[in-house]
Amino acid sequence: MSFLVRFWGVRGSIPTPGLQTHRYGGNTSCVELEVDGVRFICDAGSGIRELGIDLMEEGPKPLTAHLFFSHMHWDHIQGFPFFTPVYVPNNHFTIWGPRTGDRRFARLLGGQMRSSYFPVDFHDLGGTISADDLGDGERVIDGVRVRVFHQHHPGVSFAYRFEKNGVSVVYATDSEIDLDLDDPELPLRDPGALRGVPQDLVAFCRGANLLIADGQYTDEEYPKVVGWGHARATTIVDLAVLAEVEQLAVFHHDPMHTDEEISDLIGHCQQRAASHGSDVTVFGAREGFELRLDRPPGRRQTQY
Amino acid sequence: MNDTVDDPVDGRLAFATTEATDISVLPKRLVRRPHILQIVAGDVAPRTIPLTQDSMSVGRSNEADIRIMTADLSRMHMRIDRTRRGFKCFDMDSRNGVFVNEVRVHSAVLRDGDLIQLGNVALMYHEGS
Ligand SMILES: [Zn+2]
Ligand SMILES: [Zn+2]
Repeated sequence: MSFLVRFWGVRGSIPTPGLQTHRYGGNTSCVELEVDGVRFICDAGSGIRELGIDLMEEGPKPLTAHLFFSHMHWDHIQGFPFFTPVYVPNNHFTIWGPRTGDRRFARLLGGQMRSSYFPVDFHDLGGTISADDLGDGERVIDGVRVRVFHQHHPGVSFAYRFEKNGVSVVYATDSEIDLDLDDPELPLRDPGALRGVPQDLVAFCRGANLLIADGQYTDEEYPKVVGWGHARATTIVDLAVLAEVEQLAVFHHDPMHTDEEISDLIGHCQQRAASHGSDVTVFGAREGFELRLDRPPGRRQTQY
Repeated sequence: MNDTVDDPVDGRLAFATTEATDISVLPKRLVRRPHILQIVAGDVAPRTIPLTQDSMSVGRSNEADIRIMTADLSRMHMRIDRTRRGFKCFDMDSRNGVFVNEVRVHSAVLRDGDLIQLGNVALMYHEGS
């Protein structure tokens, strides 16, 4: 089997092009999974435009893909009108709602393409777009089991878990798990201590080969942005440790953070995981990274 | 006209106007920095490899464009291509994998200072211009 994950956009809130973001990338949220040829796209931030360019050049013709949305905040949908494959006849896309009968995502996605905002109407796209839903929160789609989890974010957001033959990835962005800590004061009292996060979230992430999670803020920044809907990077490290995931991709980088600042934050997160006695691989999600999850991530063998 | 008054504009122009240099006579490396892979660790000799072709293979095989002789490497281990997003490395189904900054990748667009690890060999990528 083949289980590939590609990062097309990793930035939070707004695209941030420029020299300061060259390493991690400035495009907003878009992650593609390709599981035995079945394509899932998580969010349509500006990164989806780059994915579209690649699919037009070398993707299968006609193209089918399943679109999942964490939520409809603009940085997660703004790339959709620039995703060229939706203009191509015979390409087919399914927009998945999180609950039975929930077609909001398909509707809201079209909303940003009304004439005052964009020259091409959603209904005039060349490709076919249909809407479906995850029923009770779980569906098997083309052999891949997909589950949904409700997250703490202004107006709610959703995490998804994709799984096939024991290989799994959790996409969990725009989630302020710091609001749900067992002891909300612990990070201030004892910043290094392992934080208790909700058990149902730990269960949802349990044993994933890759957890892609919102880690927008440093510990220093967080007290000033409580309630904005994003987590401390250090808290998702603790989630990854408790859920015993194999790899953690810190995602939804703050638009104010430079490459250097993100690298420092990731270094701090790696030290934290090690201090908890965990061997989880922690890295900063980066545009242009492609992982193959059906292979052991291994460890580099030599210390230099 | 009062010729004792300084003309700031003229002064600035004079400062900026130096003899034009004919860059065609300069060695190319002064104009464009090449993209480079540099072997920085491993049981092979340190080496600097300019990425001169659009696609180059790395491995033990004598058919590899960049031949690195160590048992850890597969015969054809990695490919490195020039793409519109920058140079990109691909794992060619190698036994020991391709790691970029300690993450095992199937492929990755490279950025300046990335450390690529192939078995016990570490290569630093230097982004050119
Ligand atoms: Zn967001
Ligand atoms: Zn949001």
